[in-house]
Amino acid sequence: MGECVLIVDDDREIVKAIGILLEGEGYQVLKAYDGLAALDILAEKEVSLAIIDVMMPKLDGLSALMRIREKKNIPVIVLSAKSEDSDKILGLSMGADDYVAKPFNPQELAARVKSQLRRYTSLGDIHARNRDGEIKNGRLLYKTEEMTLYADGEPVKLTATETKIVDLFMRNPGRVFPAEEIYRRVWGEEAFSSENTVMVHIRRIREKMELNPKEPEYLKVVWGIGYKMEKQEKSS
Amino acid sequence: MDTKWKNRKKAVSFILFFAGATLTLGSVVNMWRNKPGGTRIPQMFEQDYQKSREFRSYMATRLDNFLIMASGGSGLRDFYYDNGYTYDGTAAYAEDTLETQGEVSVEWENEAEAVEEYAGGSYREYGNWNDAASSWLSGGDALTEEERKELARRYHDRIKGDKNLLYTVSYDGEVLYSNADLKPGGEDSLPEGYNFFLEFDGEKVRIVKDGKELDVYGDGYYRDDSQWYVPGYKNFQGDDRVKKAVVCMAAASNPAMYTKGDYGTSGSWQPDNELYWMQCNFLGSRALLIKNAVFLAVGLVLLVLAFFTRQTRREAEKELAVFQSKIWVEFKVLFFIILLGILVNILAYCSRNYGIWQEFREITMESWDYAYVSERALALGNVIMGEVPAWFVILLFWGVFFFWNDLHYNRKITKYGLIYKLCRTYSAKDFTLPLSLKIARRNRGVFLTAILYSLFLIGMVMIGRALEYRNAWGMVFLLLFLGTLCFLVLLYFFGKKNMETARDLDTLSRCVGEIRDGNYMDMGEEFAGHDLENVMGQLEDIRHGMARAVEEQMKSQRMKVELIANVSHDIKTPLTSIISYVEFLKQEEDLPAHVKDYVRILDEKSQRLKNMVMDVFAVSKAASGELPVNMEELDFGKLLRQTMADMEEEIDKSPVTFRTEIPGEPVKIMADGQRLYRVFQNLFQNAIKYSLQGSRVYVSLRLEDNTAVCSVKNTSQMEIKKDKDFTERFVRGDESRTDGGSGLGLSIAQSFTEACGGEFSWEVDADLFVVKVSFQKI
Repeated sequence: MGECVLIVDDDREIVKAIGILLEGEGYQVLKAYDGLAALDILAEKEVSLAIIDVMMPKLDGLSALMRIREKKNIPVIVLSAKSEDSDKILGLSMGADDYVAKPFNPQELAARVKSQLRRYTSLGDIHARNRDGEIKNGRLLYKTEEMTLYADGEPVKLTATETKIVDLFMRNPGRVFPAEEIYRRVWGEEAFSSENTVMVHIRRIREKMELNPKEPEYLKVVWGIGYKMEKQEKSS
Repeated sequence: MDTKWKNRKKAVSFILFFAGATLTLGSVVNMWRNKPGGTRIPQMFEQDYQKSREFRSYMATRLDNFLIMASGGSGLRDFYYDNGYTYDGTAAYAEDTLETQGEVSVEWENEAEAVEEYAGGSYREYGNWNDAASSWLSGGDALTEEERKELARRYHDRIKGDKNLLYTVSYDGEVLYSNADLKPGGEDSLPEGYNFFLEFDGEKVRIVKDGKELDVYGDGYYRDDSQWYVPGYKNFQGDDRVKKAVVCMAAASNPAMYTKGDYGTSGSWQPDNELYWMQCNFLGSRALLIKNAVFLAVGLVLLVLAFFTRQTRREAEKELAVFQSKIWVEFKVLFFIILLGILVNILAYCSRNYGIWQEFREITMESWDYAYVSERALALGNVIMGEVPAWFVILLFWGVFFFWNDLHYNRKITKYGLIYKLCRTYSAKDFTLPLSLKIARRNRGVFLTAILYSLFLIGMVMIGRALEYRNAWGMVFLLLFLGTLCFLVLLYFFGKKNMETARDLDTLSRCVGEIRDGNYMDMGEEFAGHDLENVMGQLEDIRHGMARAVEEQMKSQRMKVELIANVSHDIKTPLTSIISYVEFLKQEEDLPAHVKDYVRILDEKSQRLKNMVMDVFAVSKAASGELPVNMEELDFGKLLRQTMADMEEEIDKSPVTFRTEIPGEPVKIMADGQRLYRVFQNLFQNAIKYSLQGSRVYVSLRLEDNTAVCSVKNTSQMEIKKDKDFTERFVRGDESRTDGGSGLGLSIAQSFTEACGGEFSWEVDADLFVVKVSFQKI
């Protein structure tokens, strides 16, 4: 281990908290309290990942992010009190790899850091082409022949029914499946009230593969229509 | 007291007075008018016509004529002068009585006319004779002896057939003219039916009536008021020739009508029958008088009764006044003008016959002798009074009475009238705005112009009629044309101004409408110099003010949202620290149990604070209308099922059961699924949180017409306060609760539903809490 993570926030307690959290996970932690300091550290030291707050004195997070992107390709997680979709989209489009809204769950943040680093280091070949029998979607990888789902490179343990559902979604990313159709295709019979049964399985799958099962990134509900696998554009 | 009876009493009292006054007045006036000149009131009831002045005058005239005939004089009085007027007023009254049976006489406006007509009827036969006589008479003394004789003979021929008056005229012992054998002193041997005997013995006259001799001469001097105009007074002696004449006359007590049938010569004809007509008239006049006297008596009795009921009558008068107050004052004035017109007409008419105006002038001019003037004035008054018919006096009386009544009870009788109404309608007294004043002035102008034009037209018609024979139509037409042109031009200008105002009003109301619709842009309407210039200017000010106010409000709204956003950001940063460190504390394993409990509480509260901050932010966004919605077509039923499936664990853990009634087929609506999910998540959470333990929550989706209505019903655990608005922010069913809710659940549900274009309503029925969310079905 020993990867170096830079934490930038003007709130020292938050920096300290994240530091404690990540040190607990075995990462090396660097701290900065404004944008300029962060850039200085990045210039001097080898940093594997940066967590940057948006609102900071001297140089704000998004400007700092743009400067970083001029030179480096490291994963950057943007932290912000702004939780609107538009803020998230802005952050992501400016080069952030992930966006975490305050107040966040420390465990989730740790999981995200871990996920980003894993992809940056061990699964580093970002530009790798899809091989046959492999469907890649963000941090998920599904091997069709093995019928195995990998999240951040690690296999996810699924039951038979869950695997069938994952198979359906991974093969059709972005497509919306009504609960009835899922039921018909997975269970192979017509369903009466399929909603609950399907939902129960989807919830279990989420718990296994999503970083924050309450705010799923991949297996999403399309309210009033059905369910779908979100296509993560940034990773392709 | 009974109202009906009271009303009846009032009516009766007034009718008593009305009938009494009318009868009294009418009969008095009629009696006054019908009273033959010089007769005193008691004499009017005399039954015997022979006691009338007419009779005495008749007898005296006949005696006169007979004496002339006997002594061969030429001054033979004939009907031309005397007899025609002997009838004076009586003839008319007789006619009245006979024809109208004593109704108040209105038929004959002037008795002279009646006499003329009368004369024209019954006396027509004298016409020829009169013509002849007048030519001789005009000769006067120039007549020869023969001619005088011939005149006397013809006179005799004419009157001898009238056996109502028997006469014997002898001269120097020789009977000259006679239609009966009468001798002096023969009063006892009069034929049957004759009761009046008059003889002239050459010196004096002796009259015997009903066997009693009358006192003819009184004290022997003839005076103005002496009854008999016959010779024999000390100051009225016959000449020497007449001393040889003896005349005896007898009058029938009950005259009959005689007709002669001279078929061999001319045909049937009537001698003058004067006594017969005299009696007829006399009796008729008397009947009329008696009838009027009866009326007078009845009227007086009624008046006495009216006097005793005057209290109730006063109330009737009051009610009458109320009724009168509703009559235009112009009608009242018109009534008196008409009365005045009638009076003038009557006076003018009698002036034609009596020369009233001249008389009046003379009276006023010759004011040096008071007694004389007053006497003449009295006489004139009598004449005038005699000319005024009873109905006029009655009308005048009641007119004055009602006028007085009106004045007495109605304070301002001029208040209700056409002119007052016009003045009020066109009054601009209360107006303060130049605009109203202008319009009022213009309206008055139009009205005045119309009046002037109609007057002009009437004037033109009158002038046209006056100039009918002077061939002036060309000028009249020219005037008419010019007048009409002026009128039209004036109307055009008034109309033009009014149309301009109407157009401006149109613009103005459009501007007002636009302002109401929220358009505060400058409309750029120009009203300079128009009536509505001021109003428009003020409206402009209002619009500017509103535009400014709206802008400020928008600004403050924006600032509020920004403030909330900033505050929640500022809260979020420290909250992040709290949550993070609480998380670390939670992971510490060797903490004492009570500290772990503290940490648990800290964890709960920080989570709640987090939720609250998120909710506050969402609701303020939604309230400011800045909530972005992503509308798409979705199945309402599926959304509900998904939401419940999503919340399955929560529902399973809760002490309530959900009962659903959602149709299997899709119910398509347009909404933002994410937002709507939040709406129902909040509703279901509320239901779980506030429901009575073990109760059921009913979720149903129904189609009402074209609307999909989802209702969520639950039985409240706590008593619901009636006047509580749950959708107000931070309002909670149970105020003492301190669990995880932010108090924004329903508020968010409502804001989000409305942001998606749906309708959100809730109602409370006892402990049943019902929320309805409805969307238009597509």
